[in-house]
Parts: sequence; structure tokens; C-alpha cells
Amino acid sequence: MRRFERQADGSVVAEIEDAEVTLLTTLTHQAAAVVGDADLDDPAVQRILPDAYPDDAEASAEFRRFTQADLAGRKLANAARILDCLERVDSGSLTLGHEDVTAWLRGLTDIRLILATRLGIETDDDLGASADPMMRDVYDWLGFVQNSLVEAIDA
Amino acid sequence: MPDTLEHRDARVESAVDAPWQTIVWNDPVNLMSYVSYVFRTYFGFTAVEAERLMLAVHFDGRAVVATGSREEMERHVEAMHDYGLWATLSKEGA
Repeated sequence: MRRFERQADGSVVAEIEDAEVTLLTTLTHQAAAVVGDADLDDPAVQRILPDAYPDDAEASAEFRRFTQADLAGRKLANAARILDCLERVDSGSLTLGHEDVTAWLRGLTDIRLILATRLGIETDDDLGASADPMMRDVYDWLGFVQNSLVEAIDA
Repeated sequence: MPDTLEHRDARVESAVDAPWQTIVWNDPVNLMSYVSYVFRTYFGFTAVEAERLMLAVHFDGRAVVATGSREEMERHVEAMHDYGLWATLSKEGA
């Protein structure tokens, strides 16, 4: 994958390889499954749907009751939109409109948060306790993709 | 001090008005460029202010990004969770 480039019409475009489309599709499905299950015993779920009140379990539970279903629904909608965009990839070219970019930035964040939890990344300089170099490479690559997207829309 | 109506009013008012804060916490995942983008896009901060708050999150571990009513802060926290930022709300000074 190359960097995203901003087009005259405001959309952003990046070249993407078939293997990358497959990888992103798999990761997006996996993230959607984690959001869908919303198993609060899963540390990844605790990170993408965190407690709102740090020292008040009761208020946090109340906040969850009122917001979690909607929040999870929006995260699933972001994932669905990412999958749509990946299906539309034509001749190795990925094109994202304004609404797509919003969904991608948030969706990529959720995927990275889940991967980081699985890798055991807990501090800024943490390489991750899990010694799975391939997963770590994927995590870093997703960071590159996301950063490139932020820079392209800022350009 | 006599428990006059006036004093009771003042107590009720301070309980209602005590400001709440939206706090964004540092995490090892979110990119500095993305956090800045979120602060500009959602709160409408200037690039300079967004950068200052992002750096505060990064180096101090947390930053207060908004102050106001509890309901307002709950909306902000939910929005930050939408973006995947780690945000909480607390009563000011708590």
C-alpha cells in the first residue's frame, strides 16, 4: 500500500494490493465480531467501550446502559462501511469519500486497539509481551495506513 | 450558621453548578496525529490548541478537554469513545 493522496474533489486515493484488501477485510470482520459480542470480560472490549466514570462503577454501569448499544451500533456501521469500500477496490485503487474517511479513521482505531490488547501493548514504548512478530507488523502497518489517512485529509 | 433559606439555596446551586470535566487519557495506541485531528474535528479547537492538548495527554498522561454540565460531559465522553479515545468524566477537583 502507498500513502493516501488527496484528490481535487476532496476524496483520498491509495494504491492497495489484493493481499492487503484480504487482510483488512479479515481484520474488520474480526473487530466487528469483538464489538458484536461486547463481552465485558474481554480486555479489548474494556478498551473500545471503556468505563466513563473511573471511580464510580455504578455510574459507569448506568452510562453503559444508556450508551453502549448505540456506540456499538455505530462501530459496526463503521466496519460495514470499511468492508463496502474494500469491495469497491478497482484495479488496485482504494477511493474514500469524506464519510468513508470518518468511518475508516474510527474503524482502524478500533482494530488497532483490539490488536494492541492481544499483543499486550500497554505503554508508549511497549513492543508487546506477545512475541508474534507478524501480528506486530500488521499492527504497525495499520498505524502507517491511519497516519497516512490523517495526513492526506489535512493536506 | 443559621440554616436559612438563603443558605440552603446556595448549597443546592453549588451542587447543580459544580462543573464536570471531560478527561482524555494517554494510551499507547492512538497516534498523535489522530488525537490532534479528533480535538480539532470534534471540539473545533484551533490547530495550535489541539496540538497543545494532544501533547498534554501524551506527556502528562491526561488532559482536561472540556468543562461543563454532567450531561454535556457525558455526550463528550461518548463521542470520544466513538473515536476510540480513552475518555472519562469527573467532577472538577475530585
